[in-house]
Amino acid sequence: MKGFKGLHNNKKNKHIKKRNMATAVIMPKQGQSVESCILTELKKKKGDKVAIGDVLFAYETDKASFEEEAKVAGEILEVFFNEGDEIPVLVNVLVIGEPGESIEGLSPEAGAPATVEAVEEKPQTTIAAPQQEAAAPQPQIAYSSTASAVSPRARALADKHAIDAAALKGSGPGGRVIADDVEAAISASPRTTPLAKAMIKEGGLHAPATGDGLAGMVRSSGLSATAAQPAMGDGDSVVKPLTNMRKLIARSMHASLQNSAQLTHHLGADARRIMELRKVAKANGLNVTINDLVCFAVVWALKQFPQVNAHFEGDSMRLFNHVHLGLAVDTDRGLMVPVVRDADYLSVQGLATRLKEVAEACKTGSISPDLLSPAAASFTVSNLGNYGVEMFTPVINLPQVAILGVNTIVPRPKDLGGGVYAFVPYMGLSLTYDHRALDGGEATRFLKQIAIEIENLNVEL
Amino acid sequence: MPKAQFIDPAKVRAKGEVTFSPIPVNAYDKNVKEELDAKNFTKEDLVRIYRDMVVIREFETMLHAVKTTGGYNGVEYNNPGPAHLSAGQEAAAVGMAYTLTLDDYIFGSHRSHGEILAKGLRSIEQLSDAELDKIMNDFWNGATVNVVKKNFSGSTKELAIRFLLYGALAEIFARETGFNKGLGGSMHTFFTPFGIYPNNAIVGGSGSIAVGAALYKKVNRKKGLVIANLGDASMACGPVWEGLTFAAMDQFTQLWEGDMKGGLPFVLNIMNNQYGMGGQTCGETMGYEVAARIGAGVNPQQMHAERVDGYNPLAVIDAYRRKKELIEKGEGPVLLDVLTYRYSGHSPSDASSYRTKEEMELWEANDCIVAYGKELIEAGIAKQDDLDAIWKEIKDTMFDTFKLAIDDELSPRMDLKKNPELLGTMTFSNESIDSFSDATPEVNHPMEENPRVKQIAGKVRFVTDKEGKPVSKMKQYQLRDGIFEALIDRFYKDASLVAYGEENRDWGGAFAVYRGLTEALPYHRLFNSPIAEASIVGTAIGYAMCGGRVVPEIMYCDFLGRCGDEVFNQLPKWQAMSGNLLKMPIVLRVSVGSKYGAQHSQDWTSLVAHIPGLKVVFPVTPYDAKGLMNAALQGSDPVVFFESQRIYEIGEMFHEGGVPEGYYEIPFGEPDVKRAGKDITILTIGATLYRALDAAKELEEKYGMSAEIIDARSLVPFNYEPVLESLKKTGRIVIASDASTRGSFLNDLARNITELGFDYLDAPPVVVGSRNWITPAYELEDAFFPQPSWIIDAIHEKIVPLKGHVPTSNFTDAEQIRRAKAGI
Repeated sequence: MKGFKGLHNNKKNKHIKKRNMATAVIMPKQGQSVESCILTELKKKKGDKVAIGDVLFAYETDKASFEEEAKVAGEILEVFFNEGDEIPVLVNVLVIGEPGESIEGLSPEAGAPATVEAVEEKPQTTIAAPQQEAAAPQPQIAYSSTASAVSPRARALADKHAIDAAALKGSGPGGRVIADDVEAAISASPRTTPLAKAMIKEGGLHAPATGDGLAGMVRSSGLSATAAQPAMGDGDSVVKPLTNMRKLIARSMHASLQNSAQLTHHLGADARRIMELRKVAKANGLNVTINDLVCFAVVWALKQFPQVNAHFEGDSMRLFNHVHLGLAVDTDRGLMVPVVRDADYLSVQGLATRLKEVAEACKTGSISPDLLSPAAASFTVSNLGNYGVEMFTPVINLPQVAILGVNTIVPRPKDLGGGVYAFVPYMGLSLTYDHRALDGGEATRFLKQIAIEIENLNVEL
Repeated sequence: MPKAQFIDPAKVRAKGEVTFSPIPVNAYDKNVKEELDAKNFTKEDLVRIYRDMVVIREFETMLHAVKTTGGYNGVEYNNPGPAHLSAGQEAAAVGMAYTLTLDDYIFGSHRSHGEILAKGLRSIEQLSDAELDKIMNDFWNGATVNVVKKNFSGSTKELAIRFLLYGALAEIFARETGFNKGLGGSMHTFFTPFGIYPNNAIVGGSGSIAVGAALYKKVNRKKGLVIANLGDASMACGPVWEGLTFAAMDQFTQLWEGDMKGGLPFVLNIMNNQYGMGGQTCGETMGYEVAARIGAGVNPQQMHAERVDGYNPLAVIDAYRRKKELIEKGEGPVLLDVLTYRYSGHSPSDASSYRTKEEMELWEANDCIVAYGKELIEAGIAKQDDLDAIWKEIKDTMFDTFKLAIDDELSPRMDLKKNPELLGTMTFSNESIDSFSDATPEVNHPMEENPRVKQIAGKVRFVTDKEGKPVSKMKQYQLRDGIFEALIDRFYKDASLVAYGEENRDWGGAFAVYRGLTEALPYHRLFNSPIAEASIVGTAIGYAMCGGRVVPEIMYCDFLGRCGDEVFNQLPKWQAMSGNLLKMPIVLRVSVGSKYGAQHSQDWTSLVAHIPGLKVVFPVTPYDAKGLMNAALQGSDPVVFFESQRIYEIGEMFHEGGVPEGYYEIPFGEPDVKRAGKDITILTIGATLYRALDAAKELEEKYGMSAEIIDARSLVPFNYEPVLESLKKTGRIVIASDASTRGSFLNDLARNITELGFDYLDAPPVVVGSRNWITPAYELEDAFFPQPSWIIDAIHEKIVPLKGHVPTSNFTDAEQIRRAKAGI
């Protein structure tokens, strides 16, 4: 069996490993549950001189991008991977040292750089106790030389939760994977959305053994197979392979529409109150935007409609005690939806601060993947008001049951009473909901409640 | 061992000798004319004897033609089934049947066509037209008689003869219109309305069953005698000898009281055709020279044995007239050695290579029908023309019957394509019947005066008393009390109920289950049998066939081998093989031993569970024992009721409120959750339940594993649903019992659970049975029977490793393979 051997993990020296004089730079572990990353760009090649702080390479997880800086100076003695390779975390990516220094023993696999195929062909990779001492000679990824046995119950359970049972380390007799092992894997991993489960099952894709926030999508064959393809063109057009993130977005958006019963209701809210609050905030030097106020109103509305603050899980609904608010953020890499957990605990200023933090983290690529999982949020707000959009149909981030689209504010005539009509600013609200989970009536009542909250928002600024 | 019978050493040690009376051989010396002159027969009777012999001869000739030439009178027919023909033996059969009335029953062998026709023809002669019409029209709602009625305009008696021939022939040809719906066939066909009880394909099979029928007649005060028609070679069979010992027990004349005093109304009629298949019983395979000699070894009356010339119907009739009288005086049983000869081979495939042509020709020259016909002519009773006319009429009738019986439209076979489960529905009768008798049950005192009943009344019916303190052994209501309560209740409800076995009276059964019943019941309802398990079970079968309920007991499970044919071939088969005409309300009590080594400690539930047609239960709590015994005694099916000697004293620790005092039934086939748990299921059969409970305790305390324990209670039938429900929860299952593992019913459970619950399984179902070797002495039993530690070790090795557990027994795959290779 092909695969990586001699993988290392040094808890004390997470990103650097010293062996003789040369220093290996590993693929960092970003986020609790990330198993591997894509090497998106090599900023330095073999032979280049590097100084401390130079960017060595860029890499991304399923939704976030990162850059790895040099922590030692020297020459790049070897690079083991190509751009586009999927590299398990904690594996050596390149070596920095003095010219002519030996790099023996630093290669991920006895001298031969691992290939994409090697990654592809290791379906039974298991992360074993990453806290082991660096000196431990045995490989930390356990490869079962025989097909690992999985009990029927464990198999059924794993299938239900989209866990790759064969990749687990079995605790049953002879290493048989038993239900306990799958249960442990389930509890160790964030919940997997029904959509992701379906995709994994349909696509024959493997969920990561320890689970990463995105329900095994990091393991999709597309992720690893297409990354290295160069752009091609015929002069009239250019064929540009999709980035992994684009693919993920494409897949989840398409799957969302395919796998749920979505429709959108539009409704306007009198924006005078909210605009006034924005003015007050500004006057007081507070960075509270219209969007922050809308999100705050939404949190209040959600507290009154628990069935909307929920996940639809096929044969059950998961109602959340707190509001984990997702916010669609447009970034250079594409759409990202970070979550602010327990948003209902926050004041409007607190919420504003948290929303800005996560949005910024998305833009810089430093967001924790754990905060990007669709299952992490209980409801999402997508605000296109800044772009002047007057009406749109946002796509639900499954397994959430609804998403609110916030539109631009336009003046609309309003009956002010006594036969007096005037133009007042109205904010368009577009609620897409999953009709499997909600009926039109309650969706409408919820949308109306958002409008009421916006119109009557009572906060101290 | 009744105390009433004092064994005086002076008497039994005194010098003396055993003397025998001469056994008459072919003593009859009259002829037709003399009998007619003595007015022992009417002319018509004498002619009818001829006719009846001709009917049998032609019936067998027809079947012989079908088997050897593929047709009869030019009409082709293939009969793949057996045909053990009795051409040559007609005088013996007709003579045997002549004196019998409808109250007299005959049982037969594989070669009994002649006997059933003879008895049937005799019954038709004795019955009025109205009675015959009723019998025929009631039988299968007229389905059988309707076939022969069509286009027939003769008398009722003539119709009845056609009905008899057709019913038997259609049965032989496996037609649904046959006497037993085609399910019995040539070797089993019978017709109880004419007093014809089952024939038996097992040599000597009727030897004990017929004795049981005689017991039924005696105990239930029914008129008539019972004949077992057996071949001469079957005298070698142990069960036949056991039947004889049972039939000749001294207690019938010495201990049974009042009108019950007297010998059994039983005749062992040896149809001595002098061959057992190809073996010659006189001179080769037996040593008795004259089969009648056997009677001299049975009892002082020598069973009134004599040899009779079975080639002369009048000689046989003469013998029966005399023997019937003895039986009516209560001097049975009787043994008759009726000498005869069969012309055909054992079966049509037999080339008779073991006998000479000269021998066969000589017997044919002395043919019983020809010789008797000559006597009729000599006595002036009939002319040759008259005899020829009889032949012609019979042949015509036989040909008509043959054509009807092979007509697929008139005589269809059971449609098992359309009703594929039909035989399944016929396997058990599943009836609920309070009593098989209208009589008032004979008991010695009101139930509440019974000393055992009084004793039990003072017992605590749960393992702890009201304060939750453990009950002392003396005050504890035990498992044996549960069985007793069910039994005594039924004895007071059903007058037909009898129970017997070894040490059942006085001693109260070897395990004290029946203590108190001796006081409650007269001898004829509870008695000691010979130590002869084949007769204990065999007689019970005959008793039940006649319509009585019976509880035979064979003490140790290990003795099942001693009644193998009765338990495996007779008990389970007769309900279906009779076309559901018979019921089999028998509860066979079998006790699984312990402490007594290799031949007294085996759990053979698997053996009986393997045989279709038996219900098999193994209750191990007082509540279950009483409820299942009540259900068994209320039913109409054979139940093998297993008990465990390890736990006769155990108290009820599961059923809330203890064992109810009143009547209740526990349905067969429902396993019972004895301990709730969530991590592993342990399914047990028998007393292993208590070892599993110990294991569960240790699992909980040491390994934090919560075990759910299910007691199978029944093996056949068995409802898998509660087990699967448990499995859904736990995903793991150990199946355990005291039976040796190889071929154990545990494996059957495991296989079905695997198939039905595959996706719930977190590990293969693991079987923990006894080792495949002898049961050692009690002190060494831990090395044989599953121990709590074995269950834990098996879980650790095969299901889920238990942290820190160090196994003491070897459940590894390698060991499993090694053992199988070694055959242990």
